[in-house]
Amino acid sequence: MSVLKNIKISTTYNEVHDITKEVKQVVEESGIKEGICIVHNMHSTAGLAVFSPWDPDGFKDLDEEIRRLVPTRIDFKHQHDTPQDAAGHIKCALLGVTETFIVHDGKLLLGGSQGIYFLEFDGPRNREFYVKVIEDK
Amino acid sequence: MEKYENPMCSQVESLPELIEQQYEDLEPKTRKVLSFQEIFNIQKIVLTGCGDSYAAAMATKHAFEMLTSIPTEVVTAIELSRFYCEKHMGVDCRNPLVITVSNSGTGARVSEAVQRARQHGCYVLGVTGNPESPLGKYADKILKLDIPSFPSAPGTRSYMVSVMALLLLAVRFGEVRGKYTMDQACSYRQDIKDQGRRLKDILPEMKEQCERLAEEWKEFPCYDFVGAGFDYATAWFGQAKILEATGKFAMHINTEEWFHLNFFVRDAKHMGTILVANTENPAMSRNREFVKYANELHRPLAVITDGDESDFENLEAVYIKVPEAKYAISMPLTQFAPICLLAGYIAVMIGEKYGRGCEGDWSFCKGGYCVKNSEIIVK
Repeated sequence: MSVLKNIKISTTYNEVHDITKEVKQVVEESGIKEGICIVHNMHSTAGLAVFSPWDPDGFKDLDEEIRRLVPTRIDFKHQHDTPQDAAGHIKCALLGVTETFIVHDGKLLLGGSQGIYFLEFDGPRNREFYVKVIEDK
Repeated sequence: MEKYENPMCSQVESLPELIEQQYEDLEPKTRKVLSFQEIFNIQKIVLTGCGDSYAAAMATKHAFEMLTSIPTEVVTAIELSRFYCEKHMGVDCRNPLVITVSNSGTGARVSEAVQRARQHGCYVLGVTGNPESPLGKYADKILKLDIPSFPSAPGTRSYMVSVMALLLLAVRFGEVRGKYTMDQACSYRQDIKDQGRRLKDILPEMKEQCERLAEEWKEFPCYDFVGAGFDYATAWFGQAKILEATGKFAMHINTEEWFHLNFFVRDAKHMGTILVANTENPAMSRNREFVKYANELHRPLAVITDGDESDFENLEAVYIKVPEAKYAISMPLTQFAPICLLAGYIAVMIGEKYGRGCEGDWSFCKGGYCVKNSEIIVK
């Protein structure tokens, strides 16, 4: 058995958007007790990450470090859209668009300092991601 | 065949399809013509051209400023080539960006203006259909226009394409410089494209109105075009089309200055007066006052608007509806259509040839001789 759910969100500029609650809800409503949960982001200028939720300043650090690694420059070769978009593609490629989690006892197996975050590298945008829950055979 | 069929009106009828077709052509070109680096380097923009191209510059100046926040000037070609202050050229590393519009690219004054701009360190973007022309040759970069040929008439299709090219450049500059999101930029672009469909929907009614108005106004000796801001560009373009198509006197003035000058003209009852008034125009309150006082003077009055009489306190006038736009910047793309219809109908009703047919006293000016052949002085 498996369950697939599409979730739509609206992001703001370079937002670290918390999707933990939505993902947990999909798992719990699936009725699947043991299995795998895959979260997949459909975009090329946004990423997914697991991060600690406890200090709000940590999100700023995450955003700043990602920007430090891939600054928005005007000499990117990809010039079809905007400098921010060009940087966003690289950030997305580096961070990835998929996260996989274990489902155990009907719940998402997350540590106490783990949240799931949709990282917007552009914005504000209307975005979507998928959550797939697959039961163990 | 329609009773008053003529090439100018045919050009108007072709606009809906042309808008869609040109959008597909120009949208990718305006993305690529300047690099991120070139767009970020812009400190100031000068828009220049002659005739209809000058009108297209006026129609989009506010869009450039609203979308990019870059100070933007509209300068005629002769002002740029002979008068523009040298100290304001070649500043801040190849500024201002001089966007020069000319489909043929062959006007002598345009050639002179771009040569002088280059000589004094400006960066020149030529918007032209003719890369081999002097404009194409002297510009740093070219946005190539490809306007399908059509039976000749005072510039109608080419004007729309010039306006669209400039609007898409403005949208692009604002997008790249992060003034708004890519989604917002796409929304601006979609609005530009949608003007074609919107015009198609109301064109039959617009044609009927303009034909009736032309019947009533065809014998008038003079026409007065009034508007403010980007609506003034359409008013300016209107007087040009009446003059080119019918050979009659035509004036253009902004809504405020009208009260200081054209207001006093004699024989007002025989002066076809046209107000261009987009309902989003910041000068709308003055436009309403204009309609009131034009009526007091018994002026034959037409109002070109995306609204209706209720936006003008139901005062008497012929209200000619033009397409609404989601964003006011898109209005100049189609707002001029009824003026071209009116000019085309009057010309055919009075049996006048466009541009006097380059016959008789005008025979020397065939093929734009007087604008192409002029002494070029670059200092």
